[in-house]
Amino acid sequence: MFRSLCGGFVLALAVVALGGIAQAAEKYTVASDCTWPPMELLDDQKQPTGYSVDYIKEAAKAAGIDVNVQNVAWDGIFGGVATGKYDIVASSTTITPERQKQFDFTVPYYEVEQAVILPAGKSIQSLADLKGKKVGGQIGTTGIFVMRKADTGATLREYDDVGLAIQDLVGGRIDAVICDDPVAMYYVNKKPDTAGKLNLSFKTGDKEYYGFTVRKGRKDLVDKLNKGIKAVKDSGKEAELISKWMGDGK
Amino acid sequence: MDNLGKNTVRSHSGEGEGKTFPFFLRRPARRRRTPLSVGEEVHSKGNIVLVTDGASIPNPSERRLVNAWSIALVGALCALFSLCLLWPDPYLRILLYLPDGVLITFEITVLSICFAVPLGLLTGLGRISRNRFINLVASTYVEVIRGIPLLVQLFYIYYALSRFFQVSGVASAVTAISICYGAYMGEVFRAGIMAIPKGQSEAARSLGFNRFQTMFLVVLPQAWRTILPPVGNECIAMLKDTSLVSILAVPDIMQRARSFVGTTYLYFETYTVVALIYLIITLVLSKCVSHMEARLNYYDGK
Repeated sequence: MFRSLCGGFVLALAVVALGGIAQAAEKYTVASDCTWPPMELLDDQKQPTGYSVDYIKEAAKAAGIDVNVQNVAWDGIFGGVATGKYDIVASSTTITPERQKQFDFTVPYYEVEQAVILPAGKSIQSLADLKGKKVGGQIGTTGIFVMRKADTGATLREYDDVGLAIQDLVGGRIDAVICDDPVAMYYVNKKPDTAGKLNLSFKTGDKEYYGFTVRKGRKDLVDKLNKGIKAVKDSGKEAELISKWMGDGK
Repeated sequence: MDNLGKNTVRSHSGEGEGKTFPFFLRRPARRRRTPLSVGEEVHSKGNIVLVTDGASIPNPSERRLVNAWSIALVGALCALFSLCLLWPDPYLRILLYLPDGVLITFEITVLSICFAVPLGLLTGLGRISRNRFINLVASTYVEVIRGIPLLVQLFYIYYALSRFFQVSGVASAVTAISICYGAYMGEVFRAGIMAIPKGQSEAARSLGFNRFQTMFLVVLPQAWRTILPPVGNECIAMLKDTSLVSILAVPDIMQRARSFVGTTYLYFETYTVVALIYLIITLVLSKCVSHMEARLNYYDGK
């Protein structure tokens, strides 16, 4: 009796295990810093959502892989993918030559430029007009790099996330915030408590391209994701996502 | 009679160690040797149990060349120098990127100490006050502040209160750290004052000193010796805790490091240098506190 029970149990286990193996598509962990609306943010259930998150899910579906998106702080997001804590970063990472030295990127999935937000009623004509002003941005983002490179004589203040910088701008402790234009538009037009108080005054005009980031040498994964991105673009899914997250403005 | 008491005080002043109070108010020569403490429990003899989270202060009577402190310091210095010599890129580059951050860290620490120590003294006196109202205010302050993490206090003062008034990052940092450490130091002061045998204040009172004089001329001068080392210890802990202010976009050592990492992605190299810098600063300061402790305990039977 006991033996037959045991046998049955083992058999059941084997069936479950085999089924599991047969079903499992390749599973990858994706990191997003969900403080960059509308590209990455947390929904009401505290789950990552946003344009990049939806995009990587669609691309993965098209490429036949499974992804699990996690919310990871921006500060260490590149460190985690370098050490293999997760496989992909889908967090509005601009493809830059410096980053390409240490990481591999997929083909671009979105195009942005840097935008300078000022309090409502104020405006600038160029980055040089920020001379002597306090300019905020998120630590380690391309907005900060652009300001450093422009070397306008502005004081840079680097925040943990762009929302805190915006809050300081609304409060009047800093004079401007620099960030990617979709994010700037979100705070200027959509976010209820900041809309109307801010003015998207200036865009640099230099295009930047977002790519999904993987560890250096993961050619296999880059190929899969590129295939997925192409499928999303071709199927018209991309246009759908853009109108869902950016509205008709873009 | 009253005059006699005061004369006694005067006649003995200026004689050796009993400068601030007459010989019979002097503490017994051989008391305790290790006044390292942020104590809660005060024994009848004035010994305070060690309950601290600060740096461990090197024992001042340690005469050997090889001890934990020297190993740590020499090790940290050697590590930093050899890294910078062997791989100037990136280690030297990182080291040269940080100095302005070190200045900000020191600025915040020094300013916070200037506010936290008087606040701690006031709180400590308030905690032992016989005035029920003052006592309650001081005790409630300590309870509330010790129950809130410093990181939350920083966020609260900088971001939450910005609705009512706007202060700069450095000012918020100094305020938050001073208020937080004022509460902790209050406990140090209280413990230090309680450690002075009751006979001292009884003797002073019987000589006609009022409560104020008793506290400031008799009790506190003696309590300093017990209080200063743990206060120094708290100051070192304070310096370490200033690394939290990088969340207020204040460019201290930590923030400089983070923004360096943000462009170069050299996590290991950058944070190794940062850890070594903090370690070296803390070790040097703890040696200073140790020296101070040794000097204060000069009469405790060397």
